Amino acid sequence: METLEQLLTYYSQNWPYVLTEFYRHFLMSAYGVLFAAMAAIPLGILIARKHRLSGWVFSIANVIQTTPALAMLALLMLVMGLGANTVILSLFLYSLLPILRNTYVGITGVEHAYLESGKAMGMTKMQLLRMVELPLSLSVIMAGLRTALVVAIGVTAIGTFVGSGGLGDIIVRGTNVSNGTAIILAGAIPTALMAVMADLLLGWLERRLSPVK
Amino acid sequence: MRRKSKYMKISALLLCAVLLTGCSLPGLGGASDKTVKIGAQSFSESEILANMIAQLIERNTDQETVIIKNLGTNFVQQKAMEGGDIDIAATRYTGTDLTSVLGQEVEKDPEKAMDIVQREFKKQFGYKFFDSYGFDNTYAFTVTEEFARENNYKKISDLAGEAETLRLGIDSSWLKRKGDGYEAFVKAYGINFDHVFPMQIGLVYDALKSDKMDIALAYSSDGRIQANNLYLLEDDKRFFPPYDCSPVATGEVLKKFPEIEEQLEKLVGKIDTKKIQELNYEVDGKLKEPSVVAAEFLKENNYFE
Repeated sequence: METLEQLLTYYSQNWPYVLTEFYRHFLMSAYGVLFAAMAAIPLGILIARKHRLSGWVFSIANVIQTTPALAMLALLMLVMGLGANTVILSLFLYSLLPILRNTYVGITGVEHAYLESGKAMGMTKMQLLRMVELPLSLSVIMAGLRTALVVAIGVTAIGTFVGSGGLGDIIVRGTNVSNGTAIILAGAIPTALMAVMADLLLGWLERRLSPVK
Repeated sequence: MRRKSKYMKISALLLCAVLLTGCSLPGLGGASDKTVKIGAQSFSESEILANMIAQLIERNTDQETVIIKNLGTNFVQQKAMEGGDIDIAATRYTGTDLTSVLGQEVEKDPEKAMDIVQREFKKQFGYKFFDSYGFDNTYAFTVTEEFARENNYKKISDLAGEAETLRLGIDSSWLKRKGDGYEAFVKAYGINFDHVFPMQIGLVYDALKSDKMDIALAYSSDGRIQANNLYLLEDDKRFFPPYDCSPVATGEVLKKFPEIEEQLEKLVGKIDTKKIQELNYEVDGKLKEPSVVAAEFLKENNYFE
């Protein structure tokens, strides 16, 4: 009960600070996923066409995914120094696998009959991709983006160790002061809330973009 | 068809934007040429002062700032400055830098210590070690105000002869510290406490308050001193070396942005020990964020005009 009271006091005194850190946290996560989408969606389409490449690409993405987040940040920090960019690059790397995998599955999962009828209508390869394959696989690709964003929001919280700011700052400060339970919660609750909100938002977008209503 | 080409245009634009901004992404500041990097250690006063410096610079100059928090030790801070990861260190202490970074003997006179540090930092690294903010963060013996009044204790030497009965609570690292640790203290003052309890520093205050302890060794800038109505005994034999607190800036950043120097000078001599105790307590005891405390201080003292 006392913790809850402290939590409310904390928010009432520091809400502008929490808001800026929340915004910063979200921006970092979003940038990481956005850049990953820019690279991974085209790459996913490419390996769906050239199956022989897919084994290699997925092995590399798997290796990246299994590197622990703290180790990844520490490694990247040696090259890129402290700051938000280090975190964004590691988010980029973590987001590759879910987006790649889903794009690949989405594109290869399009039924052959649709492709054939498209071809029969005289569509070029680009037209097939834009008008048949992408719309039909969009919901699967979006599901990949959702996974990537939720994971990214969690990883960003660790970014505080390389001086990137974000809600992780609040959590770590809570661990440094003598009686910081309320402060730790004050940072952790918005982080979890952000993940839930991002998931709902992208879910809504996914339904909007789906061709089958 | 026209809708599709619009998508293409938008994505091409986005891509260009990303490539152009390169290092610093919109909304995140980051490591562009105009950013001043300020380092803070992981305790309250360091974060408060780093935020004050950041807010003053952002408000009064064209530069952006970023605060690199949680630098573990003074040594890490020094290395970060040498490596260019930070341009300004918010809190450096004369006593610490004298013995650790410069590797010199302990100097008990605060002014001499400051002179040496300023001179040597300039000479060896080209850094400017500013004059003190006005407070120091040294070891101090504290008693409750009541206890001081009842026994008429004002300075440490007053304890002589009665130390056998008193219970002393100390930070566990101080007991074995060389130079200004317990052993040296006994030698300097000739006071040997019979009951010494090494414990975590945060617990010492509760112990004093609940009368389980008579004297505690605290850090003089700690906010809990004022919050618990404690009295600092004067170090009349000047046993503890001075740990005056100052900001330090690299020569490069002062050359690149000369207007920063003026902003840092604005804080010199403006925060005394009592004030920093208050500010620290806002953070440690009242759950305020260092950035909020810094903004309130600057506003109250009319720095934003």
